[in-house]
Amino acid sequence: MAEPAIIVEGLQKHYGAHHALRDISLTVAAGETVVVCGPSGSGKSTLIRCMNGLETYSEGRLRVLGHDVGDDLAELSAVRRRVGMVFQSFNLFPHLKVLENCVLPQIRSLRRSRADATIEAVKQLERMRVDIHADKYPDQISGGQKQRVALARSLCLHPEVMLFDEPTSALDPEMIAEVLDVMRGLAAQDMTILCVTHEMGFARSVADRVVFMADGRIVEIAPPESIFSHPRHKATRDFFNAMRA
Amino acid sequence: MVVLSQPERPPASNDSALGWLRKNFFRSWSNALFTLAFGGFVVWALLSVVDWMLLDAVWRVANRDRCGHDAGACWAVIEDRWRLIFFGLYPYEEQWRSSLACLAITLTIVVSCVPAFWSARRLPVLWLAGLGIFFVLMHGGVAGLPVVTTEQWGGLSLTLFIFASVFLLGMPLAVLFALARRSSLPVIAMVTGGFIDIVRSLPLLTILFAAAVVIPILVPDWLQGSKLARVIVAFAVFFAAYQAEIIRAGLQSLSTGQEEAAQALGMPYWSVVVDILLPQAFRNTLPSTINQAVITFKETSIVTVIGFFEVMASGKAVIGTDEWGAQFIEIYVFLALVYFAFVFGLSRYGAWLERRMRVGHG
Repeated sequence: MAEPAIIVEGLQKHYGAHHALRDISLTVAAGETVVVCGPSGSGKSTLIRCMNGLETYSEGRLRVLGHDVGDDLAELSAVRRRVGMVFQSFNLFPHLKVLENCVLPQIRSLRRSRADATIEAVKQLERMRVDIHADKYPDQISGGQKQRVALARSLCLHPEVMLFDEPTSALDPEMIAEVLDVMRGLAAQDMTILCVTHEMGFARSVADRVVFMADGRIVEIAPPESIFSHPRHKATRDFFNAMRA
Repeated sequence: MVVLSQPERPPASNDSALGWLRKNFFRSWSNALFTLAFGGFVVWALLSVVDWMLLDAVWRVANRDRCGHDAGACWAVIEDRWRLIFFGLYPYEEQWRSSLACLAITLTIVVSCVPAFWSARRLPVLWLAGLGIFFVLMHGGVAGLPVVTTEQWGGLSLTLFIFASVFLLGMPLAVLFALARRSSLPVIAMVTGGFIDIVRSLPLLTILFAAAVVIPILVPDWLQGSKLARVIVAFAVFFAAYQAEIIRAGLQSLSTGQEEAAQALGMPYWSVVVDILLPQAFRNTLPSTINQAVITFKETSIVTVIGFFEVMASGKAVIGTDEWGAQFIEIYVFLALVYFAFVFGLSRYGAWLERRMRVGHG
């Protein structure tokens, strides 16, 4: 049997006196879509940012696509080339046009030629339905369009795992659907997805499993239909009730 | 038909220039009086300047006996001594080389101001070529050009050379300092921070004196280079200490998300810095950078005190003689115009760049 895409064992993280991650263990199979939710400050963003080394951890073991994520810089950059990430605040490069935002990382990370990179970028921008904005600067397009460009930029590198860190939290309500739609498309195409989000409808329709976190711990892991209808823990129940209210 | 309350039009500003004048300059008796008095003074001052500088001026050396009586500016001194001001002690027959060199370096500066040339490949090539041409022309020793040592360089070409070299040497140094000060290795960050603070707390004069006088005592001969080279390096380090802090401020103004996104995309460190962080940092600190360039251009005159004959010193040399000693005002006005031409050009360029960069960037 193939190795799982992500293996987390006994992960601990301290920010000074604050214990941000407490003994996290989690396995994500290749092709699986896992949604991480929980109240703010529960450590879900910290956890997902550990996966590609944007955060360091204090103890434990973390393997992504067969690479040990830790101090080894070569391993780290190998992981980053194979794992894509989309942020809450898009983080497009404002001084580069939309097309160049997608072209440059391919040239620098994969050493693709500019011609090949441009073909790939146009393809991914088309797939995300933002190709008509290729010649604009990021501040000339809407939030939903920015997030889809960010997604295209990531997909240009053909990642095997996608990390989403609250991809719709900074969007106006009418733009959330357009981003969730393209994410649904990815989930349907066997991409391994780890997604921090509060969009319960999204979790219900695409997640294979939902991870509920509180106070730096994983409280509960279950398929969406069972965690939403029969949460086993009080914290989970309270959170979902509050979300529904 | 009922006329609904129409929004009242602002009083038409073009209905009469007189109305505007009355509103702004003749609102009350005291206001009018002040307007007249101050306006009169401005007109009188302008007329006197025009009279002195242009109408009553003596332009040609041939008419120089009229200088000083009731005539205006005696520009004859410029006709007689412009070569000294522009070229210093550079040998007379070779001064065409100095003017070509001036042109080469001015062109280099102008071309490197064009955004199309801002790439990591083009800029270094351009600068090396520009400074190379300048040096070959000025120094000679090849293609049958007689050697002119740097001790004989002077005037405007020396000023431009010092400015361009300090800027071009200092800017990469400033980037290195800024990056080192942000280094995640505490030792490097602290040492660089300490170095920058020390350099900034010393007067430029002290640093230049040290480079000119103290270094030859401490450093073996083969490592010293010419006095001009030492002074330029020292000046560049001084410039870099200030410019590094400007760049660091620019880097700190960027959201951490920029660096994280680039890292998450697997871009290597140098690319994150060169492609993502520095272009934005420079854009955000453009006004301060232009300001620093302007200050540096004017500060080049300080090298006079360690025996270099740049444009300011050359001008002073003209009025140091009995022959033209009376024309110090003309010389200083002329020098001021020369400085103004370059500095004004720089600041207009900065303003243009800012407008251009605002396009497509909120």
